[in-house]
Amino acid sequence: MNWKRFFIAFVALYVFLFMWGWLVNGVVLKDVYAETPNLWRSQSEMASLFQWILLGQAFLVFAFVAIYATGFAGGGILAGVRFGILLELAAIGMRMGIYAVQPFPGKLLVLGSIGGLIEMIIAGVIVGAIYKPRSTAQ
Amino acid sequence: MNHKRGFTAFIVAFVFIFFFGFLWHGILMKPMYLATAAMWRPEADFNNHFPILILGHAVVAFAFTGLYVSKVGMNSAGVGFGYGIVIGIFSCGVNIIRFAVEPLTANILFMWFAGDLICFAIMGALVGAIYKPLTTVT
Repeated sequence: MNWKRFFIAFVALYVFLFMWGWLVNGVVLKDVYAETPNLWRSQSEMASLFQWILLGQAFLVFAFVAIYATGFAGGGILAGVRFGILLELAAIGMRMGIYAVQPFPGKLLVLGSIGGLIEMIIAGVIVGAIYKPRSTAQ
Repeated sequence: MNHKRGFTAFIVAFVFIFFFGFLWHGILMKPMYLATAAMWRPEADFNNHFPILILGHAVVAFAFTGLYVSKVGMNSAGVGFGYGIVIGIFSCGVNIIRFAVEPLTANILFMWFAGDLICFAIMGALVGAIYKPLTTVT
């Protein structure tokens, strides 16, 4: 494992996911979330639990980079994109399961999945471009 | 790629995740969901969305198996177990973020955490035990 590259990829992906999450959930989908206020915490409550969002994102980023580094590294950006698409496919399945049990609007499932697919493709590009196995790292 | 073994692994993963979900969420966690009933679809509405739940499980099983199969050299129950743990960590990241934005209880978060780690670890071991690349099939 190339830990230096792993760390750089982790930080880069963390920053990207944070900005993307803010843009998609905090700006683009804000009105869709507002349709079901009973399903979400209030703004002040969310703010008080903000550190949980940071922690959860660290879990996501760690898992993404770890799987790429152990199974897809060496394939570069294309392998990263392929991995991102497959991982998002799993996320879409999980989102469908959540939609089946929680009464949020169907468009949140569709828009969230489209946003998630774009997000994971870009994540694959970032990690694929940064992480290189020891033997191929320059 | 060994399509026959890959398909068998997918079917086993799908059946396992479905029954694990029924046991963990439908029986073990039922009192927790009843205590937060306003967050979930009523029984009749849930039944109407049941096909989406099944499809979501199939998509997760397909992506999980597809990711494993894509990883060169991963062909044992032990490696599959480790892969499942990392996917479980990914899922836990999603759960932590959901806890920060949805009015879930800490008990639900803890049970989701444990459930996802156990479920994906066993699923990984099953897929790892079943799938073998063509060259290593005996």
